[in-house]
Amino acid sequence: MSHSLAIMMLTWEFPPRIIGGISPHVYYLSRSLARNGLKVYVVTCDFPGAPNYEVVDGVEVFRVDSYKNPSPDFASWVYLMNVNMQKEAATIVRSLNGEVDVFHAHDWLVADAGIGLKHVFRRPLLVTMHSTEIGRRNGIHFDYERMIHETEAWLTYEAWRVICCSDYMVGHVRWAFGLPGDKLVMVPNGVDTDVYTKIDDEDLSGFRLRFALPEEKIVLFVGRLVYEKGVHVLVNAVAKVLAKVNAKFVIVGNGYMKEQLSGLIKGLGLSHKVLFTGFVDDDTLRKLQRCADVSVVPSLFEPFGIVALEAMAAGSPVVVSDTGGLSEIVEHDVDGVKVYPDNLESLAWGITKVLLDKGYADWLRTNALKKVHEKYNWDRISQQTKNVYEKVLGEYSKSAWA
Amino acid sequence: MEVVIFSWEYPPRIVGYLAEHVRELAVQLVKNKVKACVVTYHDFLTGEYNEADGIKTYRVTNPVKTHIGVLTWVLTLNQEVERAAANIYYNSGRQISLIDVHDWHFIPAAVTLKKGLGLPFVYSVDSLEEHRSHGANTPFNMAIKSIEWLGMYEAGKLIVKSDWMRDEVYRVYKVPLEKILAISPRSAGWIRNVLRVYGDLVGGKAAL
Repeated sequence: MSHSLAIMMLTWEFPPRIIGGISPHVYYLSRSLARNGLKVYVVTCDFPGAPNYEVVDGVEVFRVDSYKNPSPDFASWVYLMNVNMQKEAATIVRSLNGEVDVFHAHDWLVADAGIGLKHVFRRPLLVTMHSTEIGRRNGIHFDYERMIHETEAWLTYEAWRVICCSDYMVGHVRWAFGLPGDKLVMVPNGVDTDVYTKIDDEDLSGFRLRFALPEEKIVLFVGRLVYEKGVHVLVNAVAKVLAKVNAKFVIVGNGYMKEQLSGLIKGLGLSHKVLFTGFVDDDTLRKLQRCADVSVVPSLFEPFGIVALEAMAAGSPVVVSDTGGLSEIVEHDVDGVKVYPDNLESLAWGITKVLLDKGYADWLRTNALKKVHEKYNWDRISQQTKNVYEKVLGEYSKSAWA
Repeated sequence: MEVVIFSWEYPPRIVGYLAEHVRELAVQLVKNKVKACVVTYHDFLTGEYNEADGIKTYRVTNPVKTHIGVLTWVLTLNQEVERAAANIYYNSGRQISLIDVHDWHFIPAAVTLKKGLGLPFVYSVDSLEEHRSHGANTPFNMAIKSIEWLGMYEAGKLIVKSDWMRDEVYRVYKVPLEKILAISPRSAGWIRNVLRVYGDLVGGKAAL
């Protein structure tokens, strides 16, 4: 290769467009790869106020007009958006004289674009499967879901390698799509610890008062208010925790369960103990994570569990469901507390235990921070990802397409 | 000259009138010493590839079997059309001159191939969503119209079958009239005029 290793990332979200975990993932991964000497292009959806082209921390970002085509439903929008993304990406690659070595797609949302570019330019396609439809929906029940499931299967079929962020997801994806074991590779997700160390703790006492009384412990939940995140289990556990500890439950995020959950709390007469903040900005979120006396991740399905990792980086003790990627991130009684998924007794026990024993909470905090620094830093993760690229390109060089 | 034709229907899969028309076009191209490949959709009855009467036919199937409508069905199928065309391109030693796309279905594939490989395309308009949907403007109709618009914008030339359709394309999509050529398949000079359009487009390839 006459040029340095060049990667084109395809993603439907990239900051400032943030819908879920893919956006920060692609941002930090791309930035770290660029720091490690790779050429990284990101092709993503547009966002109000964000430029069509910019260089962000050494990464070239192209934003594609994504709302050009009227669409009858979300899935049709996704496939139509892929028409435009593919068109723009093809133009970019051609302007670079084809000097892109690997296309790296993130989830089914960019499946068509990734597959198309692979064949048009005859370069290997890699995919990171952040989640699956069958996991999100706990099974495939409708044609709409089956269509997405089959699109995911097709994407993993077309990909040279499938990257998953946890051993759990490797097993899950392998099962869901019947993939050969050697096609899958695990590279963990990471967390940026700098954003938490930058926060001045002096400022926090005033900030904390916006959410809780001084005598209340803060129990923090961060996530979409949807079934798979298990937020209803937490809400149902509120009374049990309050029987032992005076606490304020701060629920950050939006979702279709919001009305139902706040109605439930009102019915229990506990509205003064549970605060639904909705979506908050990054700065507020990070400060909240720093203030939290315990961060709870009660998910029923969790491919990775980035919120747990963020809480650990912020120095908040974590209580997580023993499921999916969370099982791998947390070692019980060492750097966090694991509880039975979908079990409010167990969840209330875990939260109470952390809140009532300061020595124990500090022990978890210290160990968690150490683990985050060692295992989940982006520099290490980008190195692992680069190794995957190099391995794939080594195999590719012996293929008929090379 | 080597031409790749995209059509969502082709014998033995006959949905409307387009299948026989495209077949006749391919036959006439071969008679005029033009290499013709047809990329079309196949169901389980036909098989992936055959070569007969000098026409190479590639039939692709949809990698996603379950769909919620024609739109999602067409869009995933496009990727297989694109893949087949890219394979034809590379296997021919990059000798493909242009693509002739019949109706809107495989416009997205043609657009990516144009942008990625510099292959020009002709958009042969048989019908318009404006007429098929009788003026309905649901998001579904608008999505199809947006694909038709993309094809008209990106195509090197448009071939329509009547002066009436030429006026309709102009009326609905405001395509410059000089870009639209009305060539009746029933006229004596049909294939000669089609070849002239192909020739103009390939001659102007550097301008892309």
